Amino acid sequence: MKMRKVTAMGLAAVMAASMVPAVPAMAESTGKVYYLNMKPETDAAWQELAAAYTEETGVEMVVLTAADGQYDTTLQSEMAKNEAPTIFNLGSTADCQTWENYIYDLSDSAIYSHLTDKSLSLNYDGKVAGVASYYECYGLIYNKTILEGYCGMDGAVVSSIDEINNFETLNAVCTDINNRIDEINDELGTFLTEAFSSSGLDSGSSWRFSGHLANLPLYYEFKDDGCDLIEGEATIDGTYLDQFKAVWDMYVDTSAADPATLASGALNAEAEFGMGEAVFFQNGDWEYSALTNEENGYDVTADDLAMMPIYFGVDDENQGLCCGTEGYYVVNSQASEEDIAATLDFLEWLVTSDAGRDALVNKMGLTCPYDGFVDDYAPTNALAECANEYAAAGKTSVAWSFNATPNVDDWRADVVSALVAYEDGSGDWDGVVSAFVDGWADQWALAHEG
Amino acid sequence: MEKSIRKYFPVFVLPTLIAFTIGFIVPFLYGIFLSFCKFTTVTDWKWTGIQNYTRIFFVNGKLDTTFLHSLWYTALFTIVSMIVINVLAFAIAMLLTKGIRGTNLFRTVFFMPNLIGGIVLSYIWLMIFNAVLQNFSKTIVSTQWYAFWGMIIVVCWQQIGYMMIIYIAGINNISGDILEAAQIDGANSWQRLKYVVLPSLMPTIGTCTFLTLTNGFKLFDQNLALTGGNPGKMSQLLALNIYDTMYGTTGWQGVGQAKAVIFFILVAVLALIQNKLTSSKEA
Repeated sequence: MKMRKVTAMGLAAVMAASMVPAVPAMAESTGKVYYLNMKPETDAAWQELAAAYTEETGVEMVVLTAADGQYDTTLQSEMAKNEAPTIFNLGSTADCQTWENYIYDLSDSAIYSHLTDKSLSLNYDGKVAGVASYYECYGLIYNKTILEGYCGMDGAVVSSIDEINNFETLNAVCTDINNRIDEINDELGTFLTEAFSSSGLDSGSSWRFSGHLANLPLYYEFKDDGCDLIEGEATIDGTYLDQFKAVWDMYVDTSAADPATLASGALNAEAEFGMGEAVFFQNGDWEYSALTNEENGYDVTADDLAMMPIYFGVDDENQGLCCGTEGYYVVNSQASEEDIAATLDFLEWLVTSDAGRDALVNKMGLTCPYDGFVDDYAPTNALAECANEYAAAGKTSVAWSFNATPNVDDWRADVVSALVAYEDGSGDWDGVVSAFVDGWADQWALAHEG
Repeated sequence: MEKSIRKYFPVFVLPTLIAFTIGFIVPFLYGIFLSFCKFTTVTDWKWTGIQNYTRIFFVNGKLDTTFLHSLWYTALFTIVSMIVINVLAFAIAMLLTKGIRGTNLFRTVFFMPNLIGGIVLSYIWLMIFNAVLQNFSKTIVSTQWYAFWGMIIVVCWQQIGYMMIIYIAGINNISGDILEAAQIDGANSWQRLKYVVLPSLMPTIGTCTFLTLTNGFKLFDQNLALTGGNPGKMSQLLALNIYDTMYGTTGWQGVGQAKAVIFFILVAVLALIQNKLTSSKEA
């Protein structure tokens, strides 16, 4: 009996002990770096880099990568912990508002001084809240080989790709290609089914239009109104929505997809373009690796790929590709002073050291807007190269004005459902305009109230 | 013995009690507290009173019906799925207790959908639905009613097998003597079902309706994967609506929390009422 009592007490004690949290590690005199990474595909490279940094400097560094699409939830729970991330990613001024108490002013930091294009920083409330972790460009990816072949055909609208430099010509070319699919396939030996790859309005694709295409009317309107191109303004008039409609109609009319079922989620524009079924595909330079990755089995090769601006019929002569970022490094102002100092040191090391630059460019495939990224560390991405070519030719890169979108998920969802209704016949274009313009004002008021 | 149980009662209950307090009671009370705050992380809050609760219904000074819509949509969804699942599960269970050939095979096959996770299941069904609807130029998110019946089909397909197993266990527990006695007394098969089988199955029916009721109200995975709340939030069930508020709208974590508190109260009240109703019918 006595024995049993002892055993029981022992068991109970073990149970109780198992609930006491592990003893926290001793506080360190030097700071620590904790990065909450946003891109799952770069996790392996980051883990390697963190280990290398610790080995080189002796500073403890942890990288945690959030699961795809779970960044916001992960950030929210991680930030509530005692050992919160010292570096995290934010995408827009709207995000800054959510995290305003956690933003450290980077204006005097070393990494900011290395930033070549200061427009690639995130400004909020008079602070430099973040610096771009990479930047990306998007536009109309096209199949150079097929398009050149078309230009050489009898009765083609243009005789060289260079002639496609405004919306009217682009529209005429697309319409012509779409009308003469069989003829082109016979002559060029291609497998085209459409000029534009499908414009899917499911959640996996709709951001290309509610975000990226919608950027153009926003950008031109912000420019007219003289407000900050990234921070935006409280109300918009939708001045350039007619052009938005024209481009959208072109996408849909010159594609083989049934307009009424664009939201089905069954469409795969990347595959259509990759298999050589379509000539045009609105997307960005991040598609380069997916399109050229042999595992995906696509027909297109690196030589087929090129990108042109989304000619919008406003300032086609000067418009370049849309360049910007949705991922800024933000330093947690609520971290301890030592941790902040360690973090700033790390960020400088990241963009100046060989190991850091090599990891970013060659292992993660990012294009980084810092002064050390030349020669061996220049981007290897053919689509990113197009952006440099347009910039060198004196075209103006279009800023990512969609970063100003208030309550971005809600606003986009409303625009997308209006577009779906417009295409399946249950709504009209006025619905899209209203979701775009009135929705903006509503969401802005919501997002910016005290 | 009695005495030593009383003496050591705290030693054995305490660990579980502590776990329950840390894992459930504290977060729950803290959650209620947070619903009266504006917060970004759970440790960084500012008291705002009932503002979060008024914002559920009034946005920018206008009545906002999103929450109310998802409330009645969820209620309707729950009622329909509860009835369909239970009726079909019971019918199949009756068939599969008659000793027909291949009973075990059928039981396994019907139960199998329940082994697949809700997200995967919904993506598979999404492909099936859209492939069929494509022929009519429709998608599962063309209107909220396509989405509604789509979700009903998916949850039925998933849960009928599970409920069927519970019903089979219940039916097998009914004593053959009673049924035989009823038969000798001249009861036909309908009368046996109505006066013998159903009354003796009341505890099982209670369990199954309770499970389907709460499952219906809490449905999230299938909603997210199958319709994503489209078209335009019209097919958002309550759980997805709360999630969407929490993470979709800047600075509205508190409102999401307030909705979650209302949601909890609703589910608790419904479950209590349901429990009362079915247990009062139990012998």
